[in-house]
Amino acid sequence: MDFFDIGLTLALIICTIGVVWRVSRWFGKWGGEATHPPFDSPVLSWYLLVARGVWTFFLDVVLLARTGRTSRLRWLAHCLVLYGFMGLLLFHAMDETITANVFSAYEPTLDPWQFLRNLFGAMTLVGLALMTWRRVTLRKLRAMTLFQDWAAILIVAAIIVSGFLLEASKIISPAVFDRMVYEYLVPEDGSDVTALKVYWADEYGLVVSERIPTNQAVLEKGALLNEESCVDCHSDTSSAFASRPLSKAFGPLTSALNTSRADEAFWYFHLIFCFIALAAFPFGKFFHPFSTPVNMVSRLGRRDGAAVSQPAELPRGLGMDACTRCGECSLHCSVAPSFSVLGNPNILPSEKLVSLRQFQTEKSLSGHPLDAFAEGSRICTECLRCTDICPSGINLHDLWTSSRTRLSEQVLDPNDVIRQKTASHWSRFFDEADGGSAILPPVAGLADNSQSYWACVQCTTCTSVCPVVAVSEDPSRDLDLTPQQIMNLLRMGLKDQTLGARMVWSCTTCYKCQEHCPQNIRVADVLYELRNTVAARLRDTKKTNCGNGETK
Amino acid sequence: MKYAYFPGCKIPHHLPEYGASVEAVCETLGVGLVKLEFNCCGWPVRHENELASIYSAVRNFALAEEAGLPIFTPCKCCFGNLKYAASRLEEDGKLFVLVDRLLAQDGLSMPKSMKVSHLLTVLDEHVGVEFIELHAVTPLAGVKVACHYGCHALRPSNVTGFDDPLAPTVFERIMQSIGAETVDWDLRLECCGYPLRGRDNVISEALMRKKLEDAASAGADVIATACTYCQLQFDRERDALPFRDSLRKAPPSVLVSQLVGIAMGLDSSVLGMDKNLIPWHGPGF
Repeated sequence: MDFFDIGLTLALIICTIGVVWRVSRWFGKWGGEATHPPFDSPVLSWYLLVARGVWTFFLDVVLLARTGRTSRLRWLAHCLVLYGFMGLLLFHAMDETITANVFSAYEPTLDPWQFLRNLFGAMTLVGLALMTWRRVTLRKLRAMTLFQDWAAILIVAAIIVSGFLLEASKIISPAVFDRMVYEYLVPEDGSDVTALKVYWADEYGLVVSERIPTNQAVLEKGALLNEESCVDCHSDTSSAFASRPLSKAFGPLTSALNTSRADEAFWYFHLIFCFIALAAFPFGKFFHPFSTPVNMVSRLGRRDGAAVSQPAELPRGLGMDACTRCGECSLHCSVAPSFSVLGNPNILPSEKLVSLRQFQTEKSLSGHPLDAFAEGSRICTECLRCTDICPSGINLHDLWTSSRTRLSEQVLDPNDVIRQKTASHWSRFFDEADGGSAILPPVAGLADNSQSYWACVQCTTCTSVCPVVAVSEDPSRDLDLTPQQIMNLLRMGLKDQTLGARMVWSCTTCYKCQEHCPQNIRVADVLYELRNTVAARLRDTKKTNCGNGETK
Repeated sequence: MKYAYFPGCKIPHHLPEYGASVEAVCETLGVGLVKLEFNCCGWPVRHENELASIYSAVRNFALAEEAGLPIFTPCKCCFGNLKYAASRLEEDGKLFVLVDRLLAQDGLSMPKSMKVSHLLTVLDEHVGVEFIELHAVTPLAGVKVACHYGCHALRPSNVTGFDDPLAPTVFERIMQSIGAETVDWDLRLECCGYPLRGRDNVISEALMRKKLEDAASAGADVIATACTYCQLQFDRERDALPFRDSLRKAPPSVLVSQLVGIAMGLDSSVLGMDKNLIPWHGPGF
């Protein structure tokens, strides 16, 4: 067992175990119920399903049509990396199993393979550069970019760059030349090797340190020898349009690289990066080249939230794994402005998906991260845009709605928290807690300003027009306080006593109180503000409790 | 006449028939709707954080101004919150600065004007009831309609400027222009109860029950709505009631765009009549 075998075996073992583990998670149990019966989608016969599957594969996987819907730059970058990297994987990395069997005269050093290797490598690098540029220049996307996003780009780039360096260092290397001469040339005398060396130094980019004669006769002899012994297996290195200029660019480093056998070092680097990539394949977004096509084909190209018309329900875990973290959902998210204000990344779909995975499959979400996830889930308005735009075809809508019920049972929203205890409990609680929010900007400030109620004459108009009060048989039992009582407490500066009153939380926001108030007091606006105050203060309290240092 | 179309978050998935019927009716009546990628109007998050709510709303005005169009929305809660945000910015300089900074972070600038019109206003003022009457090829003669106004467009009237808050007439005018008969009912201007969904379902249902029973006793054949949330309450949420609940027998709720569309002779499947869970078996379809 040499380095290559050991490395490949280890990487393959990790990869296989990882893939089995990852795929097994697709079928995990979900607490939520199926969100929508596919009432608008007729059940298709199996051959139509297959036809639609094939069509989806061609359109969405091969042509990347869904990626094309988001932006041309993304589509271009992704196409370059997909076709470039797949070309290298199939025809270069797996050349012994695929290329050599399909093309009988295959030699890696012959054209078109030498040229294609450079072309595929260059395509991949350009694609990766475009991806990096996009992640750096789009401010919102940059903020969402995680370690794994850069890692994926860097590992693939490292494979390609080390490959180019390997090829370039072989082009200049006399040691590699000598090995080839030993294997393929049968010299009649010592001048044959010199003549061939002269020719290769002149034409193929070989760099030799010793003095060699460079007259026309020697060159011609070298050319003849090259014709006889080399060209059947080795094309001119000028078709390696990336590696050959790179070998020239080594410049003054050339002889040092040659004497230190840099080609061997680069060979190790190249393989190590390939093994790392292979071992990392089942983890994070590295897995998306497998999970995303599977997801798209099994969704049969549907973009809406409805379940697919197929015999078995699609495993939800598959959808979570198909995320490529491209960030398109978050760039188009309807409630992204709330993220700008509240700063909770879980408001954005791509980030909420990370939490959902921890919540659903790893069961490892608790404390503040769980609260943040619940807030993100709560603020989502189910507008369907993320599901529609997702280039991976993930049924995000279904993931959100199916986790929502269980999540809201585990983490209560401010309204539920308040209703768990009495108004007098909250009155004491808020009285003892530090006032005001350190993190959130102040809300309108109506409730704290006694002038807001200066004109209140306690005429009870607000209470008598309130439809919520009207449907209650006993308002003091059902609602704790009436609107006019709340106004009275506020004008006496007793805000904490109003915060837990169910009238505040059961306000239906119809604005009749405010419209009818003869003194123009903004009753409904004040009730909104009281709910805001509680939400902000509960948010602060929770942060302080779990002591993660985010609060002042 | 062209508008930036603001359907709001709930229409695409929760009430697609409203979007479909609004677009069909507007096309028939020559109201141009341009689709921009708006964000949430900010109303749902207003219970949690006012700044998030107002920034969401103002960001939409900024997008509309970049396109040089006023906003058109069929949802009264979207309309109300957009109006509210505009009025808050006017009165609160500190808030203005905060929102301005947030907009700048997003590469947008504070809109100079914040114009938004609700579907009913557009039909009444820009299209005109005479024009609608001319195009009503199959008028809803003999259909008794109870117009449900919805709160957030009507009140607070000094903010929304929608119609007379105590005696509005715009909805009835439009219904009469398509040949329908409008009924007077006591709870015409009351809340549908949807804003309490998830916060206090008991009161939410009580408000809906009281309102629907009042419409039934006033002799209405249908309740007309012009708001996404009101329709969700009277249709989707009502359909979740037990099978034997008497409220199912109360007048079905039909969207204003569906009623106008029927009068225009548009196909009922285009108007999404089959998507209404409490169906209306009206004349002619």
